[in-house]
Amino acid sequence: MKAREKERTLRERFGAAIRRTDVTSPGRWCLYVAPEAIREVCRFVFREMDARYVISVGMDDRPYSGRFLVSHNFAFDRDGILAAFLAELPPDRPEIPSIAGEVPAAGWAEREFRDLVGIEPKGHPYPKRLVLPDGWPDGVHPLRKDHAWNEVPEDWDDEVTFRFDDPPEGCTVVPFGPFHPTLDEPAHFRLYVEGETVRGCEYRGFMVHRGIEKLAESVMSYNDIPMLAERICGICGCVHNVAYAQAVESAAGIQPPPRAEYIRTVMLELERLHSHLLWVGLACHILGFDTLFMQAFRIREPLMWIAEKISGNRKTYSLCLVGGVRWEITPPLAAELRGILDRLEKEWNEVAQAVGRDRNIQRRTRGVGMADARLVKELGLLGPVARAAGVDIDCRRDHPYAAYDRVEFDVVVELDGDVWSRVLVRVREVFESIRIIRQCLEKMEPGPIQTPIDEELLPGRIGLSSVEAPRGESHHFVVTGENNRPRRWRVRAPTYQNLQGVPAMIRDQTLADMTIALGSIDPCFSCTDRLETVDLRTGLVKVWSQAELEQLVRARKSH
Amino acid sequence: MSLLSKVKEAWVGLRAGRVTLAYPAAPAPAPERFRGRPIFDAAKCIGCAGCANNCPAREILVYDVCQEIRILKYLGRRCTYCGRCADVCPENAITMSREFETATPRIGDLQQRIELFMSTCQRCGRCFDPPSKLDELKLRGYRFDDLENERWIFRSSAYLEGQPVVDDVPLEMD
Ligand code: SF4
Ligand code: SF4
Repeated sequence: MKAREKERTLRERFGAAIRRTDVTSPGRWCLYVAPEAIREVCRFVFREMDARYVISVGMDDRPYSGRFLVSHNFAFDRDGILAAFLAELPPDRPEIPSIAGEVPAAGWAEREFRDLVGIEPKGHPYPKRLVLPDGWPDGVHPLRKDHAWNEVPEDWDDEVTFRFDDPPEGCTVVPFGPFHPTLDEPAHFRLYVEGETVRGCEYRGFMVHRGIEKLAESVMSYNDIPMLAERICGICGCVHNVAYAQAVESAAGIQPPPRAEYIRTVMLELERLHSHLLWVGLACHILGFDTLFMQAFRIREPLMWIAEKISGNRKTYSLCLVGGVRWEITPPLAAELRGILDRLEKEWNEVAQAVGRDRNIQRRTRGVGMADARLVKELGLLGPVARAAGVDIDCRRDHPYAAYDRVEFDVVVELDGDVWSRVLVRVREVFESIRIIRQCLEKMEPGPIQTPIDEELLPGRIGLSSVEAPRGESHHFVVTGENNRPRRWRVRAPTYQNLQGVPAMIRDQTLADMTIALGSIDPCFSCTDRLETVDLRTGLVKVWSQAELEQLVRARKSH
Repeated sequence: MSLLSKVKEAWVGLRAGRVTLAYPAAPAPAPERFRGRPIFDAAKCIGCAGCANNCPAREILVYDVCQEIRILKYLGRRCTYCGRCADVCPENAITMSREFETATPRIGDLQQRIELFMSTCQRCGRCFDPPSKLDELKLRGYRFDDLENERWIFRSSAYLEGQPVVDDVPLEMD
């Protein structure tokens, strides 16, 4: 087995630093590493074994094992393995050597567990606060188990504002956001501009934290969480819903029935279709080309109607429970869906042919927002951004889930790494999705759609699941727990990684291209900002808008 | 080349049908499976509290006035219309209606309150047979959700000793 071979390589190289390993299923691998060695092991895995960085998770495991845990997750895409490299830390001194120097993609995730769980990444190159609001007192870590879900620290001060870094020499600062016509959600980019050219930027996001993980870990139960998970994102909600259910299934060894897997596949692809159509429309809108924006939305609408007919809602499908799905695709619905796909294929073909040669769009998008294969590797960029840079990754093929191992499709790859390539990737992926749904409808056998679960889930099991969202891989990490709910649930939406690539993508580009470069990763801020305590949300937004508006108004006046 | 693509784009636009509905000028009936506002049928409800325990939004409260009288209240505030309550209800007392025009300045328009006369089994979670182990009642016996402040009480310290009170309304039973 491939995981065993890799284990041998690591054991030969690191000896006793590899404490124990556990191949939970053919594609899932947990490996406990001595904390002192974690940086070197991760560097080796990332550089020499060519693993893709996925996410780092911090956990407060003190009530159960008496320790803190950190898990660095990597994916071996060619071998179909999702691996968790875990380190156990003492309860009194939760520190771990930072891997961000070796694996730049881990930059945010380490800052996040520093904020939320209070595990110190020693030697982090840029240990600035990432997630917690600026008025949050030091030393209070909301994801620790002794912090109640609805507890606001007494010395919380909502007057404190963010401390910006100094801009580089000779640059002017142009604030972009938190509210901007092309941003659907609040995020703040502080652009350093020299003339018309962007030289760099500082990002402050996490303004719409909703405390989802904390809520799930302390209040909800296994079968409640799918409905919460799908509310992480308004566009790829079903992705999170399925990814969560699969993570629990992978931890508990539950196998959903084949028909349920097909239905999951159909709904996920329906979601990709509507998301890609929406994205192409929005991208045109950002470029000022509203005709195509309207057409993309018109073509998309029947997809929303059929989703509503199948699931009872246009967008929040409420599809999965652990071990199955809730909605059956009856023969009349399948027939209707087929008709809609035929029409969509025809209409999209016309659009694709027209857009494919449109020079105006190309002039605005070629050579803009560059992300090459090296950047993709370093920062762990995902989905269409990676595929547009010639990096051939797609979880549907690399880590097959649901029914993707039973259907045929091509992974669309382009080579230029600019926004135009991302447009082409998404335009062509629409046809692949249509193909997948047709095959599913063909191959689905009648049968149950829910596995009976007669026993409680055993606590302390680790589950990993990756689902290819329209924007890239959504990764869910679950540790099962007591009281009918997980101990730890970590969601890594694709935008979490892709946003980290934005500063590099816009460097040395003109200011006017900022919007489409950012738009091209299809950012989804609320997916990224899914943490933190709910009550503070309004306070946080208020602080930001005030400070920002004041700053803006003052800037205007001085003109 | 670009001119041709402009012509093609114009062609796509010109031949376009219409997907915009005349709603609200004309009614837009929701499809059959549509999940709208849940409606509770007091005649069918047996007060098992299965819905209350499996509502992800904690929108359904249960309060035991005494051994025989149980109050079930649907809050209608942040209900996500997920339909889980209707799924787990053993008596089909909940229907996911096709109502979606629920905007109102008075929350009372949406709320539903049922008073139930219970037979005496109280330790079994009023006989709720969960569809799977994951839907099992997390609260058994008497329920004292906070009707006045419309809050779900996750645990009362009285009957789960040694565990921390998670919510902010600690209850004591004598
Ligand atoms: S529809 Fe969902 S959110 Fe609304 S009451 Fe029923 S279970 Fe709760
Ligand atoms: S699940 Fe049905 S029968 Fe039980 S309390 Fe709710 S409405 Fe009544």
